[in-house]
Amino acid sequence: MAMPLIRKPFRFRRRSKLFRMSRFEKVVVFLLVLFSAFMLLPLVYIFNHAFKPYEELFVYPPTIWARNPSFQNFVELFQMTSDSVVPVTRYIFNSLSVAVLSVIAVTGVSALCAYPLSKHKFPGDKLVFATIMLTLLFAPETVSIPRYLVVSHLGIMNTYWGHILPMVAVPVGVFLMKQFIDQIPNELLESARLDGAREIMVFLRIVVPVILPAVATIGIISFQSAWGNTETSTLFMQDEQMKTFPFFISTLTTNMANNVARQGAAAAAALFMFIPNLIIFLVFQSKVIATMAHSGIK
Amino acid sequence: MGRIVLKNVEKRYGKDKQYAVKDFNLEIEDGEFLVMVGGSGCGKSTTLRMIAGLEDITSGELYIGDKLVNDLPPKDRDIAMVFQNYALYPNMNIYENIAFGLRLRKEPKHEIDMSVKGTSRILEIEQYLDRKPRQLSGGQRQRVALGRAIVRKPSVFLMDEPLSNLDAKLRVQMRTEIIRLHKQLGVTTVYVTHDQVEAMTMGNRIVVMKDGVIQQVDSPRVIYSNPRNMFVASFIGTPPINFIEGKIVESDGGRLQLQTQRSYLEIPDAHAELLRKHGKVNRRVVLGIRSEFAHVEPEMTDRHPKSQITGTLKVAELMGADMYLYVDIGTDKPFVVRTLSGFDRSEDERITVALDMSKALYFDKDTTESLMYE
Repeated sequence: MAMPLIRKPFRFRRRSKLFRMSRFEKVVVFLLVLFSAFMLLPLVYIFNHAFKPYEELFVYPPTIWARNPSFQNFVELFQMTSDSVVPVTRYIFNSLSVAVLSVIAVTGVSALCAYPLSKHKFPGDKLVFATIMLTLLFAPETVSIPRYLVVSHLGIMNTYWGHILPMVAVPVGVFLMKQFIDQIPNELLESARLDGAREIMVFLRIVVPVILPAVATIGIISFQSAWGNTETSTLFMQDEQMKTFPFFISTLTTNMANNVARQGAAAAAALFMFIPNLIIFLVFQSKVIATMAHSGIK
Repeated sequence: MGRIVLKNVEKRYGKDKQYAVKDFNLEIEDGEFLVMVGGSGCGKSTTLRMIAGLEDITSGELYIGDKLVNDLPPKDRDIAMVFQNYALYPNMNIYENIAFGLRLRKEPKHEIDMSVKGTSRILEIEQYLDRKPRQLSGGQRQRVALGRAIVRKPSVFLMDEPLSNLDAKLRVQMRTEIIRLHKQLGVTTVYVTHDQVEAMTMGNRIVVMKDGVIQQVDSPRVIYSNPRNMFVASFIGTPPINFIEGKIVESDGGRLQLQTQRSYLEIPDAHAELLRKHGKVNRRVVLGIRSEFAHVEPEMTDRHPKSQITGTLKVAELMGADMYLYVDIGTDKPFVVRTLSGFDRSEDERITVALDMSKALYFDKDTTESLMYE
């Protein structure tokens, strides 16, 4: 019996992108993959380090992956302070509240400062903006003495204000927000005013939602600087219970007889320090990238 | 209630700068559709923004209804404005965009809902209510902008070149839609445009402006047929009006003629009387004649034997039913003739153009004012 001749129906299949690339492109892709893997190393290292038991921490040559992962370091970190006056959780609480409050304060103040500079011309507005920009030139170290004087005269030593207030002035924040607000067409704001909105409503309902990418970016930047900040704890806080987590970490390994002791706890603490930054960045990253593309700062 | 009165309104930016709007006097009747037209920088948008309260008035008085509103903020003037770039709130969906003004006025929820749905039905944007502005096309966005204006039931609509961002076809469609909307709602509308076709088709009255000064306020028909000066005559109408400079001379028979570079054009009695009255005999004037009153067809040129010019046909533009002929008659600008598209003569051919002198306009050469406008 002759086989009936059946022609297979023609199906167009798109081939994988990899097959459509030239040799040069393949090499480039390979190199880029290699680079990104290299960039990931610190992340991998932080995670693994935190879970390495003591004996592995000092293995030579050092390893990347933890062979016998354990929570030993975390246990040590929390037990270490169980007999002292201030438990580690207090430091973490301080850090979190300072970070959250300063994010709110910084974004709020920056936006409120940038809006009139951008959309409400007043005599001397250019001078004000130029002055704000000028402060970008000063290295933070140069202002720490005046800052100390201001904080001490305000009488906010040993309070959360002492942590937050010095962090609130962020010229970069004002600059970035102003760039964003500049791009909002005036008609949008006028339209809202004609619709019956007061200035505060225009700001909250129109301006803020439109510049949300900038708000997110400033939020991340200020969170990172507040979360990792040891300066305010060192300079303005004398009470141990007002100090923050990064300050506590810095005390872990310094002032020790040898720098082997408590390395495990330090590794666990490093992970603790890192995790919030990672989470915040992942949540807001799409917005941040939009900002970077928008402002032309890359 | 939607009556607007502007008394000696002026606008100047900075102390020593020039006036953007100068001595503006106008009464806009309740329910009227008034179009302000002029070139860019003529002050039409500034005037509109002063009515809206977005721009301070340097001097003069502005009344909306019977209230002096010079110092009233925009939100208390009971007006709504439509902008050229729509100015929709990008962060809100269409429903919220339309409802925003009502929400700020703290109207009850069910009434807001009813108004928004009713408005969107009128404008046929019901199906887009939950979309964001960026998901809509230009025409749809402009509808939303209109919706946002009409939902508040203001006593005055202000429109600042609302159709300029749309493509030609959509512009025509939205034009009729705005006219329909105005008929339906009967709300006083002030409409700013640089497009004289929009001005002619939409307005009950047209305000022609130049350099911050009103040139003429009249119905479209009067503006077209009896412009007050050469600027208005040339600004309104496509193709633009033809100007021919010449000297008024008296012929042997006592009739007046316009002596131009190439020919004598006989002036009909009615116009002759007017010119005599103005003392223009043996003076130079500018004759204005619209392209439709110049003829090239033999049967028409025979009808006007004493008002003919010859020239060289330079360009023939086919517009569809019509054809525009650009004829070089020795003046610095080509003379435009509007004729039927059947006209068939090749370029660089000499042709005779006959003018219907009974439709001619005469302007003072120095002041550019019309001699026929009273």
